[in-house]
Amino acid sequence: MHLATLELRDFRCYEAAALELPAGVIAITGANGQGKTSLLEAAGWIALGHSFRGVPDHALVRQQAERAIVRAGVHDGESIRRADVELRAAGRHRILVNGNPVSRTRDLLGVLRVTVFAPDDLQLVKGGPADRRAYLDELLTSSAPRYASVRADLDRVLRHRNALLRGGVRDAEARATLAVFDDQLVHTAGQLARGRLRLLDRLAPAVHDAYQRLAPDQGTVDAVYEAEWSPDGPPGEEDVDTQLRAALERHQRQEIERGLTLVGPHRDEWHLTIGGRESRTHASQGEQRSLALGLRLAAHRVVTEVVGTQPVLLLDDVFSELDHARSRALVAALPDQTQTVITSAGALPSGVTPSLHVHVHAGRILDRAPA
Amino acid sequence: MSLYEAPVQTLIDELGRLPGIGPKSAQRIAYYLLKATPEDARRLAAAITDAKARVTWCRRCFNIAQGELCSYCQDDRRDPSQLCVVEEPRDIVAVERTHEFRGRYHVLQGAISPIEGIGPEQLRVKELVRRVGEEDVTEVILATNPNIEGEATAMYLARLLKPLGVTVTRPASGLPVGGDLEYADEVTLGRAFEGRREVDT
Ligand SMILES: [Zn+2]
Repeated sequence: MHLATLELRDFRCYEAAALELPAGVIAITGANGQGKTSLLEAAGWIALGHSFRGVPDHALVRQQAERAIVRAGVHDGESIRRADVELRAAGRHRILVNGNPVSRTRDLLGVLRVTVFAPDDLQLVKGGPADRRAYLDELLTSSAPRYASVRADLDRVLRHRNALLRGGVRDAEARATLAVFDDQLVHTAGQLARGRLRLLDRLAPAVHDAYQRLAPDQGTVDAVYEAEWSPDGPPGEEDVDTQLRAALERHQRQEIERGLTLVGPHRDEWHLTIGGRESRTHASQGEQRSLALGLRLAAHRVVTEVVGTQPVLLLDDVFSELDHARSRALVAALPDQTQTVITSAGALPSGVTPSLHVHVHAGRILDRAPA
Repeated sequence: MSLYEAPVQTLIDELGRLPGIGPKSAQRIAYYLLKATPEDARRLAAAITDAKARVTWCRRCFNIAQGELCSYCQDDRRDPSQLCVVEEPRDIVAVERTHEFRGRYHVLQGAISPIEGIGPEQLRVKELVRRVGEEDVTEVILATNPNIEGEATAMYLARLLKPLGVTVTRPASGLPVGGDLEYADEVTLGRAFEGRREVDT
């Protein structure tokens, strides 16, 4: 898969810009705050339906402008697809795929796929469980889009169930209603938990391989799922529903007291270990950085295997945080035959030979001569 | 302090309470109405009060009715042994379009939704149980929407009704998940009705 054209209007600091992107490595350089990341962010929006930096849509619209427009042309094998997105300073966005309006953001996903490396990826290793859950669920959704609705359903079931629990569950009607939402919780939570467990089985060896390429001889990397509702170790796929149900029974009184759903994958965690050591607490900053890169490379490989097409790699200012050895290891570990867009405020790392090198300054793409 | 003259603000507030009308739309409609001729305004007002005065809830099934019973409850050719439970009167229209169903209806007037504070006691559930006990019903078809709230409502009702000795079914899946019955096309909904299955409690 490759992003062939990208056109922006009133997006972030860009009034109007257009870029034709060849295959291979594309380097975007420029000082900080000049619009390097915004180019990746625009491409990322087409792929994800939101900013990968978590910026709300209205804040992506250039100041004084009413709407931002992003157009992308994507080549995938024989097919050429087009996506046009209009983001508004006020109101909902509009999306066209191949010129046809689509009502749900979900229908845009899949036109372009990306794997994003960002400076704050270190949080995947150092941060709390929520960051790691988000990583896993995003990967799950990009490999099997139906999990987008599983997650939305679980979210809604949790909101209903929490509202019910807050109400106190005092009469027979409320108890019978709670029993129904218990079933719905087991049903949706079970699907998500099984999806995560299956994904983790696939992901763990891929993370191990990627890590070995970035930091050889550091020991086996493993990923272990942890769920409070499965107190005797990681749940087996076929026991998920039974275990969830048993945990709901065990915690019912406590849940009613606290007015909160305490059982389910919304509270789960998964741990990354290097040579048996917990990476969050017992790895050096350097090891954690390599592991974070390894997580992105592994996600890229998993999506490539499952979907059958290589996502475009977007590397946002990743090299500035890495020492020389790690930079070289990352360049060597990047998959071949993959369109890769790299932004950098400084010099390009050695070993990178871009097929296009552009420089951005104050929201303008200055030169675009092939190197 | 209000930005508008009091009568205009009242109009905007009232319009803004309608479903699907946000503050901006309310404002736009209010200005449209203010520009309309007095006759146009009177006609709209009359249509609202007239509908409200002449249309009531069917006292048996809680569909919209003119008089005591709705047209389906009055129609003797409809099969009283099959009872189709829907969330809203508009869902009856969707089911009727399929021409797959010749029984009677029961309108819950909503679905279980704890987020909005709606439990079974806010719906026409007691009335449904009474009908199943009193009328010659052998099959109850739970045609609530195929979303979280509709599924929860169907499951709740199935557990309540099965002990009464009736067959409880639900239209087959294949309906767009997360969707509304109202937006399902008649072929899909018709097929779902044909392929309805007994609810597993
Ligand atoms: Zn009626």
